Amino acid sequence: MSDALINLFAEVLQVEPKTLNDNSSPDNVKQWDSLAAMHLVAAIEDTFKVQLSTKEIMKMSTIGLARKTLQGKNVAV
Amino acid sequence: MAGPDPKAAWRQYQAGLKTQGAASFDVKVAVAGSITVEPLEPYLGAYLLSRKFKPHITCGPFSQLRQICDDYKSVLGAGDFNAIALLWRVEDMFPDLMARSLDSPAAIADLLREVKIFADAVANLRKKFHGTLIVSTLPYPSMPGFELTEMGQASAGGLAFQAVSQFWTQEIAKLERVRLFDLHGLMLSAGLKHANDARKWQLYRQPYTEPFWGDIGRMLGRMIAAEKISPKKCVVLDLDNTLWGGIIGEDGLGGIQLGDEFPGKAYRDFQRYLMHLKSKGVMLAVASKNNPDDAYEVFDKHDAMILSRKDIADFEIHWESKVESIKRVAAKLNIGLDALVFVDDNPKEIGEVSERLPGVTCVTVPEELAELPGLLAGTDLFDVAEVTDEDRRRTEMLQADGIRQQAQEIMSEEDFRKSLNLKIDVFAAQKQHLARVTQLINKTNQFNLTTVRRTQDEVEMLAEAQDALVLGMDIKDKYGDYGLVGVSILKKQNKICVIDTLLMSCRVLGRGAEATFIAKLAEAAKSLGCEEMRGKYIPTQKNAMVKDLYQRFGFRHDTATGEWAVTLAEAPKTPEHIEAALRLKVG
Repeated sequence: MSDALINLFAEVLQVEPKTLNDNSSPDNVKQWDSLAAMHLVAAIEDTFKVQLSTKEIMKMSTIGLARKTLQGKNVAV
Repeated sequence: MAGPDPKAAWRQYQAGLKTQGAASFDVKVAVAGSITVEPLEPYLGAYLLSRKFKPHITCGPFSQLRQICDDYKSVLGAGDFNAIALLWRVEDMFPDLMARSLDSPAAIADLLREVKIFADAVANLRKKFHGTLIVSTLPYPSMPGFELTEMGQASAGGLAFQAVSQFWTQEIAKLERVRLFDLHGLMLSAGLKHANDARKWQLYRQPYTEPFWGDIGRMLGRMIAAEKISPKKCVVLDLDNTLWGGIIGEDGLGGIQLGDEFPGKAYRDFQRYLMHLKSKGVMLAVASKNNPDDAYEVFDKHDAMILSRKDIADFEIHWESKVESIKRVAAKLNIGLDALVFVDDNPKEIGEVSERLPGVTCVTVPEELAELPGLLAGTDLFDVAEVTDEDRRRTEMLQADGIRQQAQEIMSEEDFRKSLNLKIDVFAAQKQHLARVTQLINKTNQFNLTTVRRTQDEVEMLAEAQDALVLGMDIKDKYGDYGLVGVSILKKQNKICVIDTLLMSCRVLGRGAEATFIAKLAEAAKSLGCEEMRGKYIPTQKNAMVKDLYQRFGFRHDTATGEWAVTLAEAPKTPEHIEAALRLKVG
């Protein structure tokens, strides 16, 4: 099973993809600090060719919520 | 260039998966700013990887520039950095003064005073830090009252910014060995709209778009790479449809395109850029399949030519292959094929050269002729840390070589040597020599015993050290001045003088310069209180010519250490036909 969004988070956070799921958040992934958040946004915008608003960025506090936001922008993740 | 995806390249490298070929030098860089600088890391890293470095990048905490200047080790860690780069915006460090400058001229004076204090702090850091120190120019401010869409630049605030920005640049330019990174210029080139990202500023205290971080990373990388990598030395140019439009053999002097109207203007402007390159010390050569008389006629008679025959270090005009021509250029100018850039409009020629001479950098004349004048501008091919006098005089010195060669052909070897009136001066390098000394240390490949590369700051430290000598060698003869063409670094270890570095430009070999240099090294070693000299030959792909050097001059091989040793009493003496002097620093 390969999940593009999980893989992206894993790559930026430098953790194994299998340690992440849709409930992963800064609260339960210690690598996910504010700098990592900045890199994550850059990577998401780059990979999925989208532009996120600050509102959307603020709401993406878990991988699942990021998935929902991207799906709302017609990105198949 | 950094390849299609710098971020992926950087992540793979960090994960230790791939180092993109044989990385040659470790380079440790610290970057800090009045803004968050972390987005820079993958772009800077990927660029340095593409130039075969092994980068280690540290991003300093944001907004601690003063602390870094006072005590960089406590903020950035004790890492032995090769380079520190500081990026800053005046509105971050002095927001109140900037706001007040909009309506109070007195605030401008206060602002300049604060900026001067910061410049002094940078000068202080320069004293303590011995690597490459890079400081940004001031990017155009992002703050109320400075909006370019509302004529911000012409407003009182805009004028205040121009004053402070100019003041800062001048203050930094006054400091020795602090390099200015033109963040403002880069921003103009990208365009403010494309450089700034309001979302990132609000969320992360970093103001820039990813593409602009890419620009910053590459440009910073180029400055850091230029300290260690030698630039291309010569551009080999095709003529027809490269230096002018059309074919001289068919169209004739009046029929080729060269002048002030397009398309002739594109060729003429390209020639202007080539002249600019020549003024920076890049040699120009011609490789063209033509009748020589036709081609020379353009150089001699066409009014619109910018380049003249004396600007060209070597003409290869005949019907043999370009591969052959390029090899001859390299041989005549005594430079490696990897120091050559070849420009041609014919894809077949480009294809053949890049296949048969892979070291040569090939550049094709663009389909869109308007882009020809800028073809070589903005590339990293000619990046150089500092342009020296020797660079500027290179073509002139080569022409003196030509006259020398003619003299050599009509005289016996012995008579020729005597007739040269060779004068060799070996001296302890002073501040004004360090740029050239460093350049030779980093670009000399063939006559180089150890091929140890060093930054200018490292050389300066050795020059100031008690137990070391950095020696330069100047050579003159009756045909001209070669300038500073040899470097040696001696290190005293009790009674033994270690030859850490010994190198010479190949243009001066074979007339007794080597023997003189070694003789003078022995005298210098004596002045250090030594009794013996020891040196190593460290083989590389390019320095086989000096494999037997020490043996030739009477050094004994010590099989235990791999060193070559000679007592000062047995060291070679200066050959008779040469007038030589040794000047060591006093006090």
